[in-house]
Amino acid sequence: MSLIEDLEQLEVRARERIASAATQDKLEEARVALLGRKGELTGLMRMMGKIAPEERPQVGRRANEVRAAVESLLGERIDEMRREAQKHRLAAEAIDVTLPGVRPLIGHQHLISQIIEEIEDVFCGIGYTVESGPQVETSYNNFTALNAPMDHPSRSARDTFYVVDNAPGTVDHPEAHAHGESDLLLRTQTSGVQIRTMLSQRPPIYMVAPGRVFRPDTADASHLPQFNQVEGLVVDHGITFGDLKGTLDHFVRAMFGEDRRTRYRPHFFPFTEPSCEIDVSCGVCHGEGCSFCKHSGWIEILGAGMVDPNVLVNCGIDPEEYSGFAFGAGVERIAALRYDLPDLRALMTGDMRFLAQF
Amino acid sequence: MRVSYDWLKTMVQVPDDPAELVREFVRTGTEVEAVDTVGESFDRVVTAQVVTKTAHPDSDHLWVCQVDVGRFNLGEDGEPAPLQIVCGAQNFEAGDHIVTALVGAKLPGGVEIKKGKLRGQVSAGMNCSERELGLSSDHAGIWILPEDAPVGVPLAEYLGTADTVLDCEITPNRPDCLSMIGIAREVGAIYDRDITVDLPSIKAETGTPAPEALSVRVDDPELCSRYVARIVRGVQVGPSPDWLVRRLAALNIRSHNNIVDVTNYVMMLTGQPLHAFDLATFAERGGRRSVVVRAAVEGERFTTLDGVERELAAGMGLITDGERPVALAGVMGGMDSEIEDHTVDVLVESACFNAGRTSHTSRDLSLISDASIRFERQVDETGCADVADLACALIEEVAAGAVAPDRVDVYPSPRAIEPVSLRLARVHALTGADIEPAFIERALTRLGCTVEVADEGFLVTPPSFRPDLPREIDLIEEVLRLWGMDRVEATLPAARNHIGGLTREQHQVRRIGGILRACGLSEATSFSFAAPDDLSRLHMGDEGLGAPVVLMNPLVAEQTEMRRSLLPGLLRSVAYNEAHGTPNILLYEVGTLFHGREHASLPREVRSVAGVLSGVAAEDTWNQKHKPLRFFDAKGVVEELLSQLRVEKVQMRPAEGDAYAFLQPGRAAEVLSGGSVLGWVGEVHPDALASLDISLPVAAFELNLEQLLRAARGQERYQVFSSFPSVDVDVAIVVGEEVSYQDLVRRIESAGGRLLAGVRLFDVYRDPVRVGPGKKSMAFSLTYQATDHTLTGEEVERAHEKLVAKVLRAVKGEVRA
Repeated sequence: MSLIEDLEQLEVRARERIASAATQDKLEEARVALLGRKGELTGLMRMMGKIAPEERPQVGRRANEVRAAVESLLGERIDEMRREAQKHRLAAEAIDVTLPGVRPLIGHQHLISQIIEEIEDVFCGIGYTVESGPQVETSYNNFTALNAPMDHPSRSARDTFYVVDNAPGTVDHPEAHAHGESDLLLRTQTSGVQIRTMLSQRPPIYMVAPGRVFRPDTADASHLPQFNQVEGLVVDHGITFGDLKGTLDHFVRAMFGEDRRTRYRPHFFPFTEPSCEIDVSCGVCHGEGCSFCKHSGWIEILGAGMVDPNVLVNCGIDPEEYSGFAFGAGVERIAALRYDLPDLRALMTGDMRFLAQF
Repeated sequence: MRVSYDWLKTMVQVPDDPAELVREFVRTGTEVEAVDTVGESFDRVVTAQVVTKTAHPDSDHLWVCQVDVGRFNLGEDGEPAPLQIVCGAQNFEAGDHIVTALVGAKLPGGVEIKKGKLRGQVSAGMNCSERELGLSSDHAGIWILPEDAPVGVPLAEYLGTADTVLDCEITPNRPDCLSMIGIAREVGAIYDRDITVDLPSIKAETGTPAPEALSVRVDDPELCSRYVARIVRGVQVGPSPDWLVRRLAALNIRSHNNIVDVTNYVMMLTGQPLHAFDLATFAERGGRRSVVVRAAVEGERFTTLDGVERELAAGMGLITDGERPVALAGVMGGMDSEIEDHTVDVLVESACFNAGRTSHTSRDLSLISDASIRFERQVDETGCADVADLACALIEEVAAGAVAPDRVDVYPSPRAIEPVSLRLARVHALTGADIEPAFIERALTRLGCTVEVADEGFLVTPPSFRPDLPREIDLIEEVLRLWGMDRVEATLPAARNHIGGLTREQHQVRRIGGILRACGLSEATSFSFAAPDDLSRLHMGDEGLGAPVVLMNPLVAEQTEMRRSLLPGLLRSVAYNEAHGTPNILLYEVGTLFHGREHASLPREVRSVAGVLSGVAAEDTWNQKHKPLRFFDAKGVVEELLSQLRVEKVQMRPAEGDAYAFLQPGRAAEVLSGGSVLGWVGEVHPDALASLDISLPVAAFELNLEQLLRAARGQERYQVFSSFPSVDVDVAIVVGEEVSYQDLVRRIESAGGRLLAGVRLFDVYRDPVRVGPGKKSMAFSLTYQATDHTLTGEEVERAHEKLVAKVLRAVKGEVRA
């Protein structure tokens, strides 16, 4: 038998042995037995010296081919075994993918803050700044500078929280007060920020001022003695009532949806003239009338108006040169409308179950 | 203001469908709160006839009647039959036509008619008096209708009272609309229509002229700018005619007697409050009586006609007869001078009282009347005399009085009304709408203005009943609201030369919330109010928190001042959640604190950020178990917050002493940056928790937001990672308990030199035997790395030995083998 034939037979045996190796250990045994230092192929190669020199190249080539073939078979078989093993491992690792995942613990933003930020962003988007002011205000800034008459009922201790004044008569613009009232109060509206902003900045002014306000209403399902307002003010050359409408139409649609309509009803506020209240079409019935909108098809959402010339003058701005508009909206009211809150007091408890809903 | 549609129809043409007018009212600024159909209050009240009347077997004053109610007849057996009604009235006989309330009727005042038995006799209804129906104060007996009255007709139908009433909300700037004439004028302006008001005039004037019988003196001209008085003699006080009763009933005004009803009617028609006095009750001197209008003196007492004796404050307006008060000016008349059945001579007052003074009086006495509502919005003083005449004419008509000639009229300085220039350009500039001049002229004229064409537009003289129109802007508002706000084209301002957006600080405040939420805390909002013992009951000192800002008129005892810390409010939320069985309580709040100043008015308002962690982060799940939240959880949140905000030189030191008595000793730290205290973090003292009925431990923190923002730095530049390998070496150092982690780590860092790239504490171990009493072993993993070459083993060894030796010397420690 020639060496060539031995090589041929070796290849056939190797093929069988590799194919029948059931484990990686058996396969390793086969590799050592075939290709190892004491392996069959090595053994055959040692016999190269005994054949004719002219046959050697041919046998050598053949031997290399067999080695390559065996190595390749071994490699394929190893891959196959690994794939097989992985398959088993993965099958064993299968899980019930409907089990709950590991959720990172993320807190929730209070829904009132969410709405305030949303409103701020709507107005920042059309070039407004966000301003703030103190919550303990002077009665001048809260009322007088805003054109509220000295005997306006909203100044009474029934409608305004007054604060004990530790240094009576020392505020800017001290005023005479009825018994039980003082120059200091918890602001009943964020409008005082209008005054502060107009006094500290020159037009053009485009601003919103969100913040806490206070009124002596006993807390119940629809009232809180403390709630949030967003006030807006624009003072610039050539501002018209049409500008007020365009701005607030944008705001209402941004907050409630593009399909909502607005209605402007003339109203009265001491600090604006002309003044109006703004309704948004009911989101439940779309204006048809339902119990949600008390069958009017509309929901009141904003108070607004052109800044009264007296207010501009109080802030040193010439009403012949500049005009402007102002508006205010209750944040809790927006929240109650959007999320159908049955009881505003839930906003103040810090109830985790409530907060986690938003 | 209730507006009777029937009454309105007599003055101006209105749409057939009241809903149409309501829409126009809303469009032009008169809010309509409700539309009522009057007559509904007479539901199941019908005309009837008494068939039989027999004495009640067990009573000496009750009657058992069979009453025919026509088509409403219903016997015990369900078949039509007259109703048996037990009645206590004595003024009727069988055959009389009467008014009967059927079972199920609800009478004004809330009385509901039910079937029942009166002393054993079935009674299936009630025979009504006019008083019981709210139509009159007459309660002499049941209402006897004329003999020709039909039987079994709903009363509303019989009386013709089916009327629609609009309940209008009148804004405080529109005193004129608190009258039927004012509303009619508004309708005329909306629809561009004429209004007509048929007013009676005095037919005859007899007797001593009023100025000879009465003098009027106004001692306080600010209080009363005009006082008109007329006298009507020989009146017959009695029930008012039906038309008058009905008009007032539609406006929810109960009929009293013909004199009082006339004053109310005229007030509702014209908006001018009137008062009728019984002249005989006024002190008489030499055949003359007098009226003196003056300010009350402090503590003066007066009984108003509602029977309440009130203590007056200085400055409140009083009408006196020269000796004693007879009325609280502009608010309410007096008990002693009111019109009684026996009144003969009547003094009619038609005056104008100061708006502010009336408002104060009404507010301070908590006494609001139809008169005070009108005076505080300002009454048209120019109309006082005409209105007095109108009232006298009506009293002449309905009470057969004889009007005395002439008025007493004290009107020292008649009001002059200045014309206002209305520029067309200005109308356009402010509304942004092209409103035709013809419309402007027409609308203002309809509202009662005198409009003349002038250079730039119009010269407008507002009517005396519109005190709200002294300026150009006021006229522009009138024009715009009638023209239609909805017609103005919506535009956006150009906002030239203006830049908006959030400031850096505002962004940072938002980020702080975002970081805390990422740490698992949810945002709470507590009341800005505080109870006086909020701090003391937690044993919280108030050093640095200023004086309390105290409310003058708090609503409830727990909210009498303003908060000086966020912690009490957050702990309330913890208690609330714990009481509701919530296992995971993680809350933060960003809010304003109020630090009062001893000798200054406005307090310092400081923003603060605080958090509370109690219970567990979340309930255990199949693959995740949570440990109770304690000190290090709160501290970790603070560390993360400070790190994210790039606050530098952060340091923690034990929070001790009285200032931190609300925290558990040994589990509380002050948080500092570069030497200044930002706030604290710690576990709340069990005693403080007990005061709020909190049973689980609460870890909390509170940081001064303003200081935090100041300490925050910007993002630093990128630092290249070393591409050379690092070597970790572990070392456990045994030190005394008094050496803090912070001390040790600072020693390690300063001893480490350039090659020390990281320090990580991975174990703290205590054992009295193996470590020693009063000692602890702190095991660190130290990372060595160079930025420019691969460290050799020798280099690392040298650096490490040097580091350890330095640290041990500094902290008097030893390496644990």
